[in-house]
Amino acid sequence: MSTATVARTDFRSIRRSYAVVGVVVAFAALSALVFLGSGEVHPHPVRTTFGLSALVAWALPLLLAPLAYLAVAGDRARGTITYHLGLPNSRAAYFRGKYVTRAAVAAGSTLLGVAVAFAVALATYEHAPDPGRFLAFGALSATFTLAMVGVFVAVSASVASRSRAMVGVVGAYFLLSAFWVGPLPVLNLGTALDAVAALPGVSVSESARALIGSLSPAGAYFNLLPELVWAGAPGEYAALQQFADRPDYLGYEPWVNALVLAAWTVGAPLVGYLRFRSAELG
Amino acid sequence: MSAVEIDGLTKRYGDVTAVSDLSLSVGRGEVVGFLGPNGAGKSTTINVLLGFLDPTAGEVSVLGTDVTTDPQSVKARVGLLPEAFEPVPNLTGREHVAAAVETKGTDDDPDVLLERVGLAPEDARRPAEDYSTGMFQRMALAVALVGDPDLLVLDEPSAGLDPNGVQLVREIVREEADRGAAVFFSSHILDEVERVSDRVGILQDGELTAVNSVENLRDDLGMGSVVSATVDAVPDLGPLQAVDGVTDVSADGSTVRVACAAPGAKMAALRRLDDRATVADVTIEESSLEDLFEAYTTDRSDAGEAESGTGAGAGDGSAAGSPADAATAGGDRA
Repeated sequence: MSTATVARTDFRSIRRSYAVVGVVVAFAALSALVFLGSGEVHPHPVRTTFGLSALVAWALPLLLAPLAYLAVAGDRARGTITYHLGLPNSRAAYFRGKYVTRAAVAAGSTLLGVAVAFAVALATYEHAPDPGRFLAFGALSATFTLAMVGVFVAVSASVASRSRAMVGVVGAYFLLSAFWVGPLPVLNLGTALDAVAALPGVSVSESARALIGSLSPAGAYFNLLPELVWAGAPGEYAALQQFADRPDYLGYEPWVNALVLAAWTVGAPLVGYLRFRSAELG
Repeated sequence: MSAVEIDGLTKRYGDVTAVSDLSLSVGRGEVVGFLGPNGAGKSTTINVLLGFLDPTAGEVSVLGTDVTTDPQSVKARVGLLPEAFEPVPNLTGREHVAAAVETKGTDDDPDVLLERVGLAPEDARRPAEDYSTGMFQRMALAVALVGDPDLLVLDEPSAGLDPNGVQLVREIVREEADRGAAVFFSSHILDEVERVSDRVGILQDGELTAVNSVENLRDDLGMGSVVSATVDAVPDLGPLQAVDGVTDVSADGSTVRVACAAPGAKMAALRRLDDRATVADVTIEESSLEDLFEAYTTDRSDAGEAESGTGAGAGDGSAAGSPADAATAGGDRA
């Protein structure tokens, strides 16, 4: 009961700040633009999910971060947490309520963005979109955003000030998404592993690289897309076919990546709660 | 069973001791005011009571439950007005109260509670972050009153309130105590504490230096009252000084000031003065809680006072050791 009250109160608060509307509209607009701009180049909508997945992995967490980093740390900094916990809310119920609102916004905005993309594809592409592929893409993308928001809320619950929460969330985004499987040419996991491999007596095999690469939510997300969304895709697109002949490494196994994503989705909020449960509030 | 039972509470942050070996109890239907300078440890004590902080040592029970192990089970019976918290952004005052009603599972009408604390209906439907400090305090008090709690914990409830608001808080505290609720509150408004509290606890540097009724604290420190009499001509003050219970006599122009440690000394001194001069006017000033507070929280060694004691007894009438010169000091201040 109190979890629902905390969640309802929290959702009402963030909804009225227009933060939710901002995130939902921004991602839906970006999704629509990606599909509108690619219809002429790629007649099969599934090819455009390749570009949209990059948006999900690198832009969507940045849109969600401002909404998540103050979830608990903001209440602690403002003292509002004494209002919530002075009532018969346990710390678990309070944390659940806070997590549920952020997770709902994350999953909702992701699914709406994918739905908008589907609608645009249906209206403008030469070939109709495959509902099954889009459903899989939506579900996988939503799981990824849940994992990232879980990390952000966990960071927020683990620190006592706004500034630490902001630094922690931006750091988590950079490490787990931009650095791990990111577009940065120099500063990424690959170059870091190259640097380690350059040390005397150290070697990092390709299979080890694949396994390490799968350990972040973004890594697991990108590793699962070929299997769940792009397998057997029509159109002979090189961008999608590049995954067809991947070596038989453990890091590319769907079950490993599903396990990694599940571990982040469940484990991060759990760790955040455990930190919050023993925090001194005052 | 006491509503609050604190036994040997100590709270340290690293090397800093916020509260040291504090023992105190609050009975049902009793109003206990908690006084102390900034940083004395008042809010730390309250935060331990609510389970927000874990004590370093000691035992704390609220309504018979050890809050260090099970803070959750008593929250439904406690009403809290926290110090200096900000509202949930974008929520109206009424929504804050309604959420508290929902969480506590009571059938309170938020509008009735808000009316009781004097928050107008149109204000109750505005975002609470737009409230003045006084309006916000009223809303927070309404939240604390949800569910007719057995214990009200009010941290600076009158902060930012106008005189009418302060009076309202006083009335509500008394009403709640009359209903049988225990009220434990901290305040910087000494007059408020004096008027409404059955007992007062004075905290200094994390240590409880006194717990008692204001009247008993006054007696213990010998800070009774000062009789000021306007006379036609100031007589020899020696006979007045000799009256039992008189601690100091002085004259300023046509006014004679007689500091009395014991209640019976006032009339005896006044009769003796009236025998020796024509008394045109008389005023009697009781030593205020401010005087007591100052006496208990001023460095005793600087004041040249006797060694201090600690009085942490729960309703046992004990108080800090009485400084030898406090009567004179109090009389001078009065």
